[in-house]
Amino acid sequence: MNPAVHLDGITKRFPGVVANDDVDLAVERGSVHALLGENGAGKTTLMNVLYGLYQPTEGTVRLDGEPQSFDSPRDAIDAGVGMIHQHFMLVDPMTVWENVVLGNEPKTWGGLRVDREAAREAVVELSERYGFDVDPDATIADISVGEQQRVEILKALYRGADVLIMDEPTAVLTPQEVDELYGVFDELTEQGKTIIFISHKLGEALSAADDITVLRDGVNVGTVAAADVTREELAEMMVGREVLMDPATSPQEAGDRVLEVTDLDVEDDRGVEAVSDLSFELRGGEILGVAGVDGNGQSQLVEAITGLREAASGDVRYRGESMVGKTRRDRIDRGMAFIPEDRQERGLVMSYDLVENGILGSQHDPPFANGGRLDWNASRDHAEAVIEQYDVRPPDADAEAESLSGGNQQKFIVGREFERDPELVVATHPTRGVDIGSTEFLHDRLLELRAEGKAVLLVSSKLDEVQGLSDRLAVMHEGEFTGIVDPATVTEEEIGLLMAGESLDDDSVEGAAIHDAAGGGTDDTPGDGSDGADDASRDGIDGATGGDEGVDA
Amino acid sequence: MRNPLSPASLLESASESSYVRSLVVGTVGVLAALGVLGLAFPESVFGDLAGIVFSTSTGASTARLAAPIVLAGLGGIFAEKSGVINIGLEGLLIISAFVSVYAASVVGVGNAVLGVPALVIAFLAGIAASTFLAAVFAVVCIEFKADQIIAGLAVWLIALGLAPFMSTVFFGGVNTPNLGVSVGWKYSATMVVLATLGSWWLLNRTAFGKHLRAAGENPKALDTVGVSVSKVRYAGVLLSGVLSGVGGSALALSIGQFVGSGETMVQGKGFIAIVAYLFGNYNPLGTLGAGVLFAGLDAMQIRLQQLGYAIPDTLVQTIPYVVVIVVLALVGRTQIPEAAGEHYETEE
Repeated sequence: MNPAVHLDGITKRFPGVVANDDVDLAVERGSVHALLGENGAGKTTLMNVLYGLYQPTEGTVRLDGEPQSFDSPRDAIDAGVGMIHQHFMLVDPMTVWENVVLGNEPKTWGGLRVDREAAREAVVELSERYGFDVDPDATIADISVGEQQRVEILKALYRGADVLIMDEPTAVLTPQEVDELYGVFDELTEQGKTIIFISHKLGEALSAADDITVLRDGVNVGTVAAADVTREELAEMMVGREVLMDPATSPQEAGDRVLEVTDLDVEDDRGVEAVSDLSFELRGGEILGVAGVDGNGQSQLVEAITGLREAASGDVRYRGESMVGKTRRDRIDRGMAFIPEDRQERGLVMSYDLVENGILGSQHDPPFANGGRLDWNASRDHAEAVIEQYDVRPPDADAEAESLSGGNQQKFIVGREFERDPELVVATHPTRGVDIGSTEFLHDRLLELRAEGKAVLLVSSKLDEVQGLSDRLAVMHEGEFTGIVDPATVTEEEIGLLMAGESLDDDSVEGAAIHDAAGGGTDDTPGDGSDGADDASRDGIDGATGGDEGVDA
Repeated sequence: MRNPLSPASLLESASESSYVRSLVVGTVGVLAALGVLGLAFPESVFGDLAGIVFSTSTGASTARLAAPIVLAGLGGIFAEKSGVINIGLEGLLIISAFVSVYAASVVGVGNAVLGVPALVIAFLAGIAASTFLAAVFAVVCIEFKADQIIAGLAVWLIALGLAPFMSTVFFGGVNTPNLGVSVGWKYSATMVVLATLGSWWLLNRTAFGKHLRAAGENPKALDTVGVSVSKVRYAGVLLSGVLSGVGGSALALSIGQFVGSGETMVQGKGFIAIVAYLFGNYNPLGTLGAGVLFAGLDAMQIRLQQLGYAIPDTLVQTIPYVVVIVVLALVGRTQIPEAAGEHYETEE
């Protein structure tokens, strides 16, 4: 029998770039196939070829053995290929059924009226057939991200999709929602649908897929059965060299109290309480991880600490000094470094070159400020030093920030902030969009700062990152810490429960919560706990969009 | 689960929100209070006011003044819902007001071309002129990705200069002579009501309405399901041209003359139209209500002047703008489409 999808020798060239080089891919009907690779490996390009967005330079797309030539996504949809984009293509104020039928509305009265009853009926029928629990009349803006994803799947199914392409499907889901998604995969494949999903996460490829194809630099490195491969082998295929999966942390005594947050309340832009009555402390030589689904107050907490947002009440003390009323500049001067979550909005001025970007935040300080004017030579030296140390590519201090890839922008920001010689680093999603090799490097730098006795507040939605690096792990839900746990002993499920807002009454975890900054509990090696090669949702929730977090910079 | 397609909830969705309902209730309440006060103290200001509000001549002039506001406002809804903010409505009203009068004078009132009466031809010419200008605006905004606000201002300024200029060329003055025709207020009222109901249907019941909304909220979502965002946006802007054309022609033909001095006879009605649809929360019914309210205030002001009250007309004309500022600040419930004002380009 012919495979449901067969990409035969696909080459896609863009001016100056070969995005896909002679890639073969065969996917059997009723199977789940993961397309794994680092950022820029050509996964999305390949899928865009299958989806008709790009025409291949060479090679053929075959569905069930039949050669196809797609001029547009429309053709691909007609041939039964559906794509679920990473950022959902849904119209927020419209209802579920309106979104599902958008563009293919059943009509009556000679096209003068949308047949709402028929449309709704079709949506209800589809969701019942695949066991989706979605209210057809709910407004998209009111339903959870997991439900929105199911609406996207319904959209594809409504258009008769037989092959579903999903781009980073777990990027915005909680661990529980990821499990539900895998359930949906089972349901779909049982009914003969074929699923291809794009991912850069080893864990989810291993647990959700039947087969895995690894792309690197546009080349198919190999296709393996998920059952026959380990996490380490896959990582090596992706990166092309051996990767240390778990950062090596070493036990360390916590030092002085650097940051103390007491009864902090912070409101978001709409005046809704985003952080409620939060207290914690952070010592030198310690990394406090904050995990949670994006939009649970992490942004507002970080903004209140770094001085980007005024707290409604409560106190933030930094090295014994109250920061209430202190400006952002006051805080920078006192040694607070900040890696913002939205690097293009807050981390860099996109139209500035790296020399200029490199002194942002230090422009008042010597050696850059010199008697009312800026010393561009010193600035250039600084930028070049950061570029070299942090392997920013291309290594050109005159390049504008916007010409760099996201990962390189991030490396540059991290370098700039770390080179401030800070006492406290507030890092939000420091490795978002950064490839595995650079991630490893940035993790090592964070651990070096810790070893130097600096305090680090690490906010990330990558569970493996916070779990692997932190001495203590706080889980945030609706503005509160639902628990502060020991990352070495806590399980993925427990974190998932905490992220969903439930508390753990399990003794072992409560024990961990008690050993706050005293440093007693940090003797465990957090890395020990994170070798679960087959852990489904290890790096479950990365890359959520900013949502309604305020940008008032 | 409650079936949202039941008649009760259909009615509910027609009024769409408590916002529109409170608007209606408020207006009716004020009118009722005025009526009571007027009957109680017939000699007072309230008596005069009540007399004005409930007189048929005020009603007729309200209908006449409301036509351009409501029709252009409905047009503005289509444009903005599709994602193109058309602040050139004023210009569309001006150009159609002039061209309709010009066409009527060329054909000759009372004559007919191929059996079509002159007034109908005048309307069609006004609509054509307005739609043409809207099409130019659409091309500049959608094809060439110009800033919509600047392009919209240009539409207004072009019409503001061009219409009196053409009047000077063809009639020897910025004001055209009076053709001695007058389209009765009943026709204006009928057109307004039909256009409102038609717009409501188009926006809420047809596939086009859904596409329009998607184009303004999340154009990419529409694009990925294979509907051309550009086409939908062109349709939205052209519809604003058509509706404004009807409104501008109705305004000019109701007195049979184009007045081109100063701000022309349109006198900011295109901008009040924008206010009206914002006030009406992008709902045609709300826009109708707001348009009638603003036109009514204007009509009242005129009548008050006639009765000898020295009401500064410029002050009365600021009322709609003050109202919209208050509404936007206090209520804040108007829902501007997410992608309004943003260009959209298909990825290739």
